[in-house]
Amino acid sequence: MAQRSFLDVLVAVDRRFIYLLVGLGCIVPFLFPLGLPIGTTSSVKALYDRVESLDPGSVIMVSFDYGPSTGPENDPMAATCMRQCLVRDVRFVTIALYPLGGVTEMTEEFQKVTGGWDPETLELRNWPGKFYGTDVVNLGYKDGAQAVMRQMDEDIHAVFPGDYYQTPVDSLPLMQEINTYDDLAFVFSVSTGIIGEYWANLVNAQFGTPVGVGCTAVSAPKYFAYYRAGQMFALLGGLKGAGEYEQLVDDAYPEVRRMTRADPYYAAKGWDVQSIVYSIIILFIIIGNIAYFQARRAGAEK
Amino acid sequence: MSTDLGVWIGAFMTLCILSFLYRDNPFFRFAESAFAGVSLGYYIGNTFDQTFIPNLITPLFIRGDDLLLIIPMVLGLLLYTRYIGKIAWMSRWSLGIYVGYFMGLLMMQRLQGEVQPQTADTILSLVRGISSSGDFVNSLVIVVGVLSVLVYFFFSAEHKGAVGATSRLGIWFLMVSFGAAFGYTIMGRVSILIGRVNFLLTQVLGIGG
Repeated sequence: MAQRSFLDVLVAVDRRFIYLLVGLGCIVPFLFPLGLPIGTTSSVKALYDRVESLDPGSVIMVSFDYGPSTGPENDPMAATCMRQCLVRDVRFVTIALYPLGGVTEMTEEFQKVTGGWDPETLELRNWPGKFYGTDVVNLGYKDGAQAVMRQMDEDIHAVFPGDYYQTPVDSLPLMQEINTYDDLAFVFSVSTGIIGEYWANLVNAQFGTPVGVGCTAVSAPKYFAYYRAGQMFALLGGLKGAGEYEQLVDDAYPEVRRMTRADPYYAAKGWDVQSIVYSIIILFIIIGNIAYFQARRAGAEK
Repeated sequence: MSTDLGVWIGAFMTLCILSFLYRDNPFFRFAESAFAGVSLGYYIGNTFDQTFIPNLITPLFIRGDDLLLIIPMVLGLLLYTRYIGKIAWMSRWSLGIYVGYFMGLLMMQRLQGEVQPQTADTILSLVRGISSSGDFVNSLVIVVGVLSVLVYFFFSAEHKGAVGATSRLGIWFLMVSFGAAFGYTIMGRVSILIGRVNFLLTQVLGIGG
């Protein structure tokens, strides 16, 4: 009887009390980090291995297909990929196809990773010996995701006549080597919603370009079907995928770890919080289910 | 603690939105409306600056080296004739081309990029599972899951007997997939909260960095 009363109290608890608990579960691990371990899944390691296997000087494209609302999941994926490329002497071109904030996210992450560049020499401040235009290029945003993807197979220069800063792409040494997807080792789409899917079911399917995707957790269940069918060679799902990838690169390259830990936010920072909040939610789901079955049994007895 | 006004405006808007957790209020509605307005302005400005100018205005009117761009420009302008009663019908030409283009694009995209590879993977997964032994159970689950869910959505036969049993199995597979999707959705939503809490603690208050 006493147990039922306790459950009744829990079932009747104000939902705002649960919000408060989740809020505390979110704040406390930030103040007192636990450093909970993150395992590695094969779909994430595939991206790490692919970048490691590239010859120095290879070029990849990083597509920013997300906005600020999913930044906590997607930002660490993009930043880690760009850093792994730079430390491995792999060059990259960035584009943005997501209309609501893609280009802003791209420019901020690009600036954060490169540290900006000397206006005279174009040497990257965080990566001495590497230069804007030669090792990295920010092409900016284009509207009409599928049409852009389709036309880039014919001529990237026609779609992006200038970079984000309106410098003609023909004048950038890196872009003189890049005309179509054939000149890229692979495309890595950091995406929310459906644009990451387009890279698999349009660009990979029609042009054979290898595609890796870092998607939000909400999209992950659907995207795993593409990964399993080999339409994506790698898949990072949500903050967990971001955390796994970040850890792989940070463990391999201490200089990258120093940069990551200097960022205001990185995936490992959110992982403790995620685990604690998940535990709270699981607890309430269990309590809710016990209360439901208790109530049903009580109803049947009457 | 931050001295950047922009950061404090961001903090204020974040708190306005989070205030909805307590109850609906004017601060939440203000932030919601401001977000909708700013998003639209951002989209228009961004598209104009990053697509319209470099891909149309500059090559057509400044450099003048791509006169074929007149065709898409005229088609684009025709879309706005729908606001002029007498010539509103002209907007249908542009719309027809637009719809036709995407019909063609999507048809190939869905068939070549989804139906064919996903069907092939499902058929071959059992074969691959046998060859790599350890994956056999996973492959079997996929094949049985796909077939039973397809039977659940097959309404031309009454769901009785063997069809009914397979259909019920399909419901179980659907429930498990909904559960997985719900779990991932929570992860996504919590990640967004983590981003906001990190912003408030680290960038606004300067703690927990």
